[in-house]
Amino acid sequence: MENKKNPGSPSVGEEDMFYEYWLASLKPLSARKKRMLRDAYGSARAVYYIEETRLDQEIYLTDRDRRVLQTGRDSRNQEEFLRGLKESWEKLQESGIRLILYDDPAYPSRLSRIPDPPYAIYVRGELPPENQPAVAIVGARKCTPYGEEMALEYAETLAGAGVAVISGMARGIDGAGHRGALNAGGKTYGVLGCGVDVCYPREHIGLYMDILKNGGLIAERAPGEPPLPAYFPERNRIISGLSDVILIMEAKEKSGSLITADQALEQGKDVYALPGPADSALSQGCHRLIRQGAGILLSPEDLLEELGIDRIHLLKKSDRNKKMLESPEHMVYSCLGLFPKSTGTIIEETGFSPQKVMEALVSLVLEGYAREVSKNHYVRAGKSSGEKA
Amino acid sequence: MAFCCVTSACIQGLQVEMIRVEADISNGLPMLHMVGYLSSEVKEAADRVRTALRNVDVKLPPKKIMVNLAPATLRKKGASYDLPIAVSILAVLGMIPPGRLENLLIVGELSLDGSVKKVPGILPVVWQARKAGLRACIVPEGNGPEGALAEGIPVIGVSHIRQLLAYLNGEIELCPFSGEGAGNVQTAEKNTDFSEVRGQQAVKRAAEVAAAGGHNLLLVGPPGSGKSMIARRIPTILPPPAWEESLEMTSVYSVLGLVDERRPLITERPFREVHHTVTKAALIGGGRTPSPGEISLAHGGVLFLDELTEFQKPVLEVLRQPLEEHTVCIARTHGTYRFPANFMLVAAMNPCPCGNYPDLGKCSCTPGQIRQYLGKISQPFLDRIDLCVEAPKAAYEDLRLSREGTPPKEETSREIRDRVCRARRIQESRYLGTGIRANAQLDSKSLEQYCALDREGEKLMQKAFQALDLTARTYHKILKTARTIADLEESDRILARHLKEAVGYRTMDKKYWGR
Repeated sequence: MENKKNPGSPSVGEEDMFYEYWLASLKPLSARKKRMLRDAYGSARAVYYIEETRLDQEIYLTDRDRRVLQTGRDSRNQEEFLRGLKESWEKLQESGIRLILYDDPAYPSRLSRIPDPPYAIYVRGELPPENQPAVAIVGARKCTPYGEEMALEYAETLAGAGVAVISGMARGIDGAGHRGALNAGGKTYGVLGCGVDVCYPREHIGLYMDILKNGGLIAERAPGEPPLPAYFPERNRIISGLSDVILIMEAKEKSGSLITADQALEQGKDVYALPGPADSALSQGCHRLIRQGAGILLSPEDLLEELGIDRIHLLKKSDRNKKMLESPEHMVYSCLGLFPKSTGTIIEETGFSPQKVMEALVSLVLEGYAREVSKNHYVRAGKSSGEKA
Repeated sequence: MAFCCVTSACIQGLQVEMIRVEADISNGLPMLHMVGYLSSEVKEAADRVRTALRNVDVKLPPKKIMVNLAPATLRKKGASYDLPIAVSILAVLGMIPPGRLENLLIVGELSLDGSVKKVPGILPVVWQARKAGLRACIVPEGNGPEGALAEGIPVIGVSHIRQLLAYLNGEIELCPFSGEGAGNVQTAEKNTDFSEVRGQQAVKRAAEVAAAGGHNLLLVGPPGSGKSMIARRIPTILPPPAWEESLEMTSVYSVLGLVDERRPLITERPFREVHHTVTKAALIGGGRTPSPGEISLAHGGVLFLDELTEFQKPVLEVLRQPLEEHTVCIARTHGTYRFPANFMLVAAMNPCPCGNYPDLGKCSCTPGQIRQYLGKISQPFLDRIDLCVEAPKAAYEDLRLSREGTPPKEETSREIRDRVCRARRIQESRYLGTGIRANAQLDSKSLEQYCALDREGEKLMQKAFQALDLTARTYHKILKTARTIADLEESDRILARHLKEAVGYRTMDKKYWGR
C-alpha cells in the first residue's frame, strides 16, 4: 500500500494538514464555497480561525454554512474538538489514505478541468497516470450477460493496450469493466460513492482488494461515509472527469449511466455507446445516446484505432471457435448466444433429448464455451471463460 | 355378577395401547361413575351410554355403577370407548355371558338410539389386536372393510347395540369381513397424467430422475410455467406401493379418520400440497397427544411446497430432521411419538420476487431484492435437495392444439413409470439387506461403495469441481443423481455422460444465486 507523505499545498505546513482535513470533510458546504474561502484566507487553518464578524461579511455564505463552519469552534470544547480532529487525521494517514486538495500538484489535471471539480479527493492506491489515456466503462448494475461479456472484452483490450480503465465498482457492468482490466494485467481505478475505505457492494471485496493492488480507489466523500443515493450522481462526474472517453455498455431508458453520459458531454468528453438487440430494454439507453450523436462501439480494436492508440501491446485473441467440438455439443453451442437461453428452449431448438442437451451443456460449461448464468440458463462464454465479474 | 372387564384400545400417535374397560356394580347412591384419566368426550360417554341403553330397553338398576378405563395413566380421548363401556355394563348386569367377552376387542361410538357409529384409527387397532393374539375384533359396521385389511383376525362389524347383544348371547351369527375384497381394489382411474404436460421436456426428465432415485426436487420458474402441474403428476410415475407400504399409509389416514369407507386401502401414492401459511405443528404433527401432520400424510408419496420462499423459515427448518431420517419424532412430557415420514419433497419457487429473472427486459427486481428473496431458504435446507431444475415459461407451440385438433403426443405416466420401476428394482437388488431403499438415501460412506467412478468420470468430476467451484456436499449429490441416471439406463457403471447430466441438475450453491 502506498504510504507516501502528503506533499500538501505549498502554503500549508505538515502540522496544519488536519485543518485541511477538517475543511475538506465539512459536508453541507459546497466545493465551490470551500475553494472561495480557502483562496481568500490562504489556508484551512486560517479559515478555521476566522472571526465570526468576518464570516458574516462573506456574502456568498448562507446562515447554514456559517453554522457549519462554527461547528466545534465553541470555546468550551474547542481543544477537545481539535484533539479529536488530529487523532482521526493521524489515523487516516496510518491507513494509507491520501487527501489531495484541488491545488495540490498531485491533483489529477483532467479532474481540475471539469466545471465543478471536487474540493479534495481521498485516494487509496494510485491515481490514474496523467500521461496515459483513461477510458471509463460504465453501465447498468443489473446487466445482461451480453453487456457483461462486452464490458469484459473492451476492458481487457483497452487495459492490454495500456489504457487506464475507470469505473464505479458497482455491480454489473462496472464490476465487469474492472475485472476485465485486471484480467489483462492492466491498471484500473474505482471511483466510489462512499468513503474510500468502504467497500460497496460488499460482495466486491475481492475486486476492491485487487483494484487496490493494480490501480487505485478514489472518493470525494470522507472516509467512513456510507453509500448514500445522493452521492452517486456526484461520483459519476468524477468517473467521467478522470477519463478521456466514456463507454456506456448497457443502460435502460432511465439509467444512472445516462447521467454520467450527460456529465461527460458537459465536461467535453467523448461518449461512446454499445449497440445491442433492438428489443433489449437494457440497450434502449445506449441506442438513444447513439441517435443523439454518441459514438458507436464496433469493436475494441476499432475503438483503439479511433483513440489513436498503438496496438503493439495487443495480445492476439485466441480463436476458440476453431477448436473442434463434438457434433451434439456443436449443435447446442450454435444455439447459445449472449442472452440466456433455458434448457427447455435448447431442447426444442435442437430436437435432442433432455439428457443429451444437459450433457452437452455441462461439457460446454466445463470446457469454458458456455456459462450458466442462472439455474439452467446458459450463455455462450467468451475468451475469458470461467472468469466472473 | 359384580365385576366385568372388556378389552378396547387407545391410540397414542400411531401406537395402539390395549385398554381394559372394567365395570363394577355395587350398592350405593344410584349413579354411573367413570374414572381413568378421561378427556371430556370420554366423560360424556356416560350420558350417551345411559341414554342408548334406555333406548334399547335396558333399565339400569338403582345401584352405583363404577366404570374404570385402565391403565389409568394413559389419557383416553375420542368416542371409541362408548361401545366397550356399554358392553361392560351389560355384562355386569348379567345380560352377556362373560366367557363371550374374553380376548375380544370392542371399539365403537354410540348414538343415542343405540346405533354404532364409525371411529378413526381402526386399522392400527385391529393390527395391534392381531399382534396381541386376540380372538376377534368388534368394530362399527362402517369400519369393517378397513379393519379387515389387517388380515389374520376376524373383524366383525356391528351397526346397532341390539345386534351386538344378540350376537354376544349367541342368538345370531355375524359374518366377519374378509380382507380380500378390500385388498384387491383396482387402482382407481387416475385423473392426472404426465401426457397432459406439454413441452417442459427438461423438467419432465428431472422429475423422472427424481422419482427413480427418490430424490428431492426443486423447481424454479416464473409463475404459470407449470411447476405445480408437474409436481402434481409425480405420484403417477412413482412405482405403485407395496402391500406393507399401503398399510402404513392407510394407518396414518386411518388415525386421522380420512379413509374411504368402501375402499379403505390407499393404493395410490399421496400428493400433499401444503399452503405456505402452514404452521410447524400442522406440518410435522402436533397436539397434546400428537396426531400426524402433513409430512406423515405424504408418507410414501409427494409433499409439495409451492412458493417455497413464502414459507416461514422456522417451518422449513423443522423439515430437516424428517428429510434426513424419514420419520418424525415428536417429544412430549409424557412420551415420544414417532410417525412415518418417508416422502419425496417437491418444492417450487420463483427465481426472483417478480418471477421473471433472468429475463431482464421484464424483471424489475434489484440484485439486492433477488438476493434477499433467495436468502429466505437456508443452505442446510437446500442441501437436502438433490435436484434443481428450471421450469421455463410454457411456449405457445406447446399449448396450441395441432391443426387436426389432436394434441401432440407426449409420454404418458405409465411409460415413464415403467422406466422408474425398472430403476427402482435395480436399486432394491443392489441395496438388499442394507436398509437403503433408494439412491437418495446413500450417505458419504456408502457412496464410495456404490458410486465408484472410472478414470474418465474422475477426470470429469475433478474438472467440474474446479470449474464450477463445487462443495463436497454438492459433489456427493451429483454422484447420487448420476447413480440414478445410470440406473435408469440400466448401466452398472456410472459413465461420464451420466455425471454430466447430473451436474446440470445440481442445486446451485446459495452464493451463486442471483448475482
